[in-house]
Amino acid sequence: MRENVMSDTIVPGRWARFRDSYLLYSFKRDLIAQISLVIFALLIFAAVFAPWLAPANPYDLAQIDILASELPPFWIDGADPAYLMGTDAQGRDLLSTILYGARVSLIIGFGAVLMQAVIGVSFGLMAGYLGGRVDAFLMRLADIQLSFSTLMVAIIVGALVKAIFGGATFSEYAVPLLVLIIGLAEWPQYARTVRASVLAERSKEYVDAARVMGLKSRRIMFRHILPNTLSPIFVISTVQVANAIISEAALSFLGLGMPETHPSLGSLIKSGFDYIQSGSWWITLIPGAVLVILVLVINLLGDWLRDVLNPRLYKG
Amino acid sequence: MIFRKTLLATLIGATAVGAALLPVTASAENTLRMAYDADPVSLDIHEQLSGGILQLSHMTFDPLVRWTKDLDFEPRLATSWEQVDDTTMRMTLREGVTFHSGNKFTAEDVVFTVERLKESPDFKAIFAPVESVTAIDDTTIEFTTTKPYPLLLNLATYIFPLDSEFYSGTDEDGDPKDEIVKNGNSYASRHLSGTGPFEVTNRQQGVRIDFERNDDYWDQSSPGNVDNIVLTPIGENATRVAALLSGDVDFIAPVPPNDLDRIRNDEDVQLVTMSGTRIILFHMDQNRVEAFKDPRVRKAFAYAINQEGIADRLMKGFATPAAQLSPAGYTGHNDELSPRYDVEKAKELMAEAGYEDGFSITMMAPNNRYVNDAKIAQAVAAMLARINVTVDLKTLPKAQYWGEFDERAADMMMIGWHSDTEDSANFYQYLTECPDAETGAGQYNASNYCNPEIDALVAEANVEVDLEKRAEMLQAVEQALYDDAAFVPLHWQDLAWASAENVNIEPILNVMNFPYLGDLVIEE
Repeated sequence: MRENVMSDTIVPGRWARFRDSYLLYSFKRDLIAQISLVIFALLIFAAVFAPWLAPANPYDLAQIDILASELPPFWIDGADPAYLMGTDAQGRDLLSTILYGARVSLIIGFGAVLMQAVIGVSFGLMAGYLGGRVDAFLMRLADIQLSFSTLMVAIIVGALVKAIFGGATFSEYAVPLLVLIIGLAEWPQYARTVRASVLAERSKEYVDAARVMGLKSRRIMFRHILPNTLSPIFVISTVQVANAIISEAALSFLGLGMPETHPSLGSLIKSGFDYIQSGSWWITLIPGAVLVILVLVINLLGDWLRDVLNPRLYKG
Repeated sequence: MIFRKTLLATLIGATAVGAALLPVTASAENTLRMAYDADPVSLDIHEQLSGGILQLSHMTFDPLVRWTKDLDFEPRLATSWEQVDDTTMRMTLREGVTFHSGNKFTAEDVVFTVERLKESPDFKAIFAPVESVTAIDDTTIEFTTTKPYPLLLNLATYIFPLDSEFYSGTDEDGDPKDEIVKNGNSYASRHLSGTGPFEVTNRQQGVRIDFERNDDYWDQSSPGNVDNIVLTPIGENATRVAALLSGDVDFIAPVPPNDLDRIRNDEDVQLVTMSGTRIILFHMDQNRVEAFKDPRVRKAFAYAINQEGIADRLMKGFATPAAQLSPAGYTGHNDELSPRYDVEKAKELMAEAGYEDGFSITMMAPNNRYVNDAKIAQAVAAMLARINVTVDLKTLPKAQYWGEFDERAADMMMIGWHSDTEDSANFYQYLTECPDAETGAGQYNASNYCNPEIDALVAEANVEVDLEKRAEMLQAVEQALYDDAAFVPLHWQDLAWASAENVNIEPILNVMNFPYLGDLVIEE
């Protein structure tokens, strides 16, 4: 609100505003947030540049050698230096598979959340601002959607697609399909939160003012109300990215997500499940640890963001 | 002090009572909780010719004769047999045997059963040599074969007499009770009445089957002391082993190769292993893929697949790499054939056939039928990628897999086969002969491979009485199939079972993988 008060002075640049912001101020004082951000950035970097960083392409079946299966990671006797983190039961390089798998997890996580946000925010704004029948209809729709668990929706849609278009098509479009499935299954989270914020904002003077000026509903919703409901949206987004990654891993673990020839973290964990107690624990535990770390840092960052954006906490 | 003493006394008393009670309850009811990788797909034992169905048959029915551990014949419902002439055999049946329904077992039931077997799409091929079976009187039957047939007794191990009265008439929908519907819903697939040691009391497909000992079982000399059996399918290998080690179940099969050492090292459980005779192979469907009609392409596939790698790594040496159908010890086993793994050669052959850039195929395999079946299929898919063949692999539970197999729903399909007659000819009859729905030949030949010359040689061998000549012929068949690469053999899978220490499984197991659970003894 500072800019508004001092409107007659020179408006500071974006960078300067960011430098002076409470966001950065609190970040500099929060060690956990800093560590989380570093790890998260590293994981993103590794995932984005996986094709260049990975020693092998785990999705190219011709590079897999069954004779190199179940090799342990480098610190255990019997390891092959060519496979730093060991190999899985089919002879895939685990390090490469984890890098590619993390890439898939992040694409699905962000993609699904983007989709949830677009649907959820539009529905939430409409329900909250227009009210009445629109509100009742959209919220009942959300209720119905919430009464199905994400996994169930995913299982049904996945099975239908496989049955109608065949396994080959499913494998080819597995990533966009999973984005679609997880995105469709969880939009009510956004819609509910946004609606609640909109209900609080709707009766404020600035909305009345906009309405009196004769602005159209759409403009009021997106240009006036939406910016004021962004903080909770950011917070939910972090939680939802983590949720979407977990959903993808769970689906792949159940054999309904990424196909066996394109393993993600979840399918890797599953493929090692048979071996976890018979010696080759690394096939499950290493990707499992990566998944836990990925989800944990996103959640920690989300926690920090919630504290920062919570007006009751920082304005006091 | 007094209080303490009383407490102590109560404790001791309670323990003593508890200790005294335990053996009493144990000897009253012996329940065997067992876990297989899958439960039988149907209660109709003529619907499908498969290991799971035959295991069910041995629990709820009795064969006329059965194999002993040393592969001799043991009389069961037939007490004696004699060869009347070259093509006729007479059998005397056991008296005083009743079915679960209470009906009396007679020669008519055997006639009914054999006639039904000759109608069954899966069994008719092995029963083709039997021309007719007639009831001479209540306890005597006579088999007539079309030609002199040396393996009639082997066949009799597959005749599990059905309750002809129970399976006659029509059910509430008006369908005949003895109708055989493959992968369907017939009366026989839901109801069962046999003479065997156990009755089915409850069945939830894919969840559990409960068996109860047949109180009127004829074989009073059997040492078996199991009163109830609960069969739970556990598809996940690690979960099945964990269930045994934690004491949730008493008997599991199969034991995954990577857990053999763990079970061997555990003092509370025992492990039984046998080298197996079940061949695991991939068919290449010539009707679906034009390229498979070219022997060079089929050979390229055979060269591209590393049998030894699979047997060594995925099966942990718990399988014998194969280049033919007949395992060592069988008449048809040809010592000169060995696995041919050579990727360069495979590429050359593909180029020669004009498929240098490869092509795409679909592949299906079960994921709870054979040891590590899904993993093997994945490995094979990866190996084929090296000769530029793209594989769309689908693995599914056997309850669905066999339906797909019967429809030949994929270009490459996995199957495992154990010779029903313990003889090489059975392999060719089912897996490589020209498919013919009329005779049942080639019923499981998903290659749709057809070579009348080889079939003629097999037919000739089947009536050859000179065993040396017959062996030569069968070995020539193996050689011809190898040269033609009619299919891709992988390995003969070894067998492994494990049980709690007090469940004495060793005497009831055999290389056919038909545990004779009626004779199982649980020690106290």
